[in-house]
Amino acid sequence: VKYRLIGVAMLGIALALSSDAFLTVSNLLNVLRQASLIFLSASGLTLVIVGAGLDLSIGANVGLSACLAAAAIKSTGMLSMGFGAGLACGMAIGILNGLMVTQLRLPPFIATYGMLWMLYGVNYWYMKGDTIYGFPPEFRALGSGNWLSVPIPVYLMVAALLAGVIFTRYTTFGHEVYAIGANAEAARLSGIPVGSRLILSYTVSGAMAGLAGVVYLARLNSAEAGIGDALLLPAIAAVLIGGTSLFGGSGGLLGTLIGAIILTLVLNGMNLLTINTNWQPLVTGMIVLLAASVDSFTRRRTESRA
Amino acid sequence: LRKQRRTVAIVLGVCLSLAACGQPKESGSADQPKRETIALFTKNQTNPYFKTIRLAAQAAAKALNVEVVDFVPTKADSIPEQMSQIEDAITKRPDAAVFIPVDSVALVPGVEKFNAAKIPVVNLVDRAEGGEFVSFMGCDDYTVSLETARYLFKKMNGKGNVIIIEGMSGSSNNTKRVGGFKKALEEFPNIKLLASQTGKFQRIDALQVTDNLLQAHRQIDGILAANDAMALGAIEALDGANRKALVIGINGTKEAIDAVKAGKLLATGDCDGFVQGCMGVMGAVRHLRNQPVPKEIIFPITVFDSTNYQGADVPYESRNCPPWEKIVKE
Repeated sequence: VKYRLIGVAMLGIALALSSDAFLTVSNLLNVLRQASLIFLSASGLTLVIVGAGLDLSIGANVGLSACLAAAAIKSTGMLSMGFGAGLACGMAIGILNGLMVTQLRLPPFIATYGMLWMLYGVNYWYMKGDTIYGFPPEFRALGSGNWLSVPIPVYLMVAALLAGVIFTRYTTFGHEVYAIGANAEAARLSGIPVGSRLILSYTVSGAMAGLAGVVYLARLNSAEAGIGDALLLPAIAAVLIGGTSLFGGSGGLLGTLIGAIILTLVLNGMNLLTINTNWQPLVTGMIVLLAASVDSFTRRRTESRA
Repeated sequence: LRKQRRTVAIVLGVCLSLAACGQPKESGSADQPKRETIALFTKNQTNPYFKTIRLAAQAAAKALNVEVVDFVPTKADSIPEQMSQIEDAITKRPDAAVFIPVDSVALVPGVEKFNAAKIPVVNLVDRAEGGEFVSFMGCDDYTVSLETARYLFKKMNGKGNVIIIEGMSGSSNNTKRVGGFKKALEEFPNIKLLASQTGKFQRIDALQVTDNLLQAHRQIDGILAANDAMALGAIEALDGANRKALVIGINGTKEAIDAVKAGKLLATGDCDGFVQGCMGVMGAVRHLRNQPVPKEIIFPITVFDSTNYQGADVPYESRNCPPWEKIVKE
C-alpha cells in the first residue's frame, strides 16, 4: 500500500503541474465520484479474490440488477422496491456462484464465467432491446446528488470501505477468508468451515454488484441490457493495481480503493490534458503490470530475508 | 450411470420423434401459394435502433403477407456469430435476405455464401464492401451529422465553444459522423472545438468524459455526440455539474425524442429507422415478385427538434409502413 500511495501522489503532482483544472475541489470530488462507481463493484470482488476465488460475473450482475431495479421502480413507483430488487438479484447471483464453487466444486473461473453468459442471456431476453429511462429526482440523487457538497456515491464508497476494513481486519470471519485464500486445505484441517465462508464471500460480491447496479442506474438515469458490460475489466484492474494477489491470501480493500482512484486519474488526466483517450487501455495495462512487478519484487525480497 | 445414460437416450429419442411429427407435411400445402420467407439480419439485441428495424420489418411482412425470420447475434456485433447465422439461414432456404453486416469488410464472405446459394440479398444500413446485392439502402452518416451539427451551430448564433464525444474509434460510422461534425466546424469559423474524445458509443463512458471535460473547460456551449446514448450521458453529466449546454445526438431513438420533448436535448438527426426496416423487406419482396428495385436508395434526413418531434413520437408497434412510391421517386 505504501508504494501505491506514493504512486497516487506522484500521478497527482504530475497532473497538478500540467493542468490548472486538476487541483480544484470540484475536479477532485469528480474523480472520487467516478472512482466510487468502480470501487463499489470491485470491493466484493476483492473479498472473493482474497479467498483465492474469482468472480467474473460482476459486470453482467450489475447489468441485470440495474435492469430489474429499473423495472421495479417503473412498475411499482416505489424506490424501495428498486433497491430491494437490485440487491436481491445481486445477492441471489452471488449465492448461486458460491454454491457452484463449493457444492459442484467447479473452478471459480468456470462457474462465474458460465454465470456471466447466462446473465447476459437472461438480460437480453428480459429487456428485448428496450431502454428503461426517466427516474424521479429523489432516486437520481443517489448517483448524481450531493450532501454537504460531497457526491452521495462517495459516502457509499466510504461506508463500504469502512465496513469492509473492519470486517476483514477485526472479525474472525475476515481472518478466516485470508486463511482460506492462503491455503484452503490447511484452513479446513484447522476447523474453518471453508464452504460456508466461501459462499458468504461470493454473496457479498454479488450483493455489492447489485448495489453498484442501483447506483449506476441512478447515475445514468437509464438502464439497457448492456449497461454493465464494460465494468468487469476495470474492476479486476482496480483489485490487481491495489495489490490483491490472484493467488489469494493477501491484499485488501484499501488497496482496491487506491486502484480505483489510479484508474480514474488516468482517464481524468487524459481528458484534462486533451490527450486522445484511445491510449487509456494501454496505460491501464502498463499500470497493472507495474503494480504486479512491484509486488513480486517486494515479496521475493521479504522471502529471501526470511 | 448406465441407467442415466439410458434415460438420456430415451428422452432424446422422444424429442426427436416429436420434432419429426412437428414437421409440416409438405405434400398437403402444394395447392396453396407459398408465403415467401425473408431472413432479416440485425446487429444486436441491445441497441433500440435495431429493435425499431425489426418491428418495422414485421409491419412490412404483415402488409405484404410474407414471413420475416430474425437472426440476431446473442453477443452484440459478433462477427463469427453473424457468420454462422448466415450458414444456418442458408440451410433453411429463405426466399431472400435483408442484411445489416456487423462489420462491412469481415462479413463479405458471408454475403458471398448467399450469392453462391442463389438467395437474393438486400443490404441495409451499413454498406458491405463486397458481394452481390439486389440493392443497397441506407442513410448517409456523414450528411446526417453534418446537417445536425449545422443546426446546432445556427442555434448558437455561429459562435461559442463545443466538444465532440466520438463513438468507437475505427468503426466506419463513427469516422463518417465525426467527419460530418468537423466539416460543419469548418463552415462556422467562430465555433471553437475544445476537445474531441471518445465515449465508445456508450452512455457511461460519455458521462465520465463529459464530467472531466466540464472540469477542464469553464465555458462549454455545445456538445456534439456521435449517437443518442452518448448525448444523454452528456446531459446527465451537465445536470450533475449544474451546467448548461446545447446537446445534439444522432439516431432519433425514442429516449432521445422524449429528451427533446422535455427540452433537455436540442436535436437528434436521423434517417428514420422504421422506414429503413420497412423498405428493406419491401425491396426484397418486390425483387421476388419481379418489380423494379433501384440499385441504391439513400434515405432522406430529418433533424428532430422541439418543432417536429411529433413525427417520431408514435409508438412503433402502432405504425404502418409508408408506401414504396413515397420514398422511391423515379
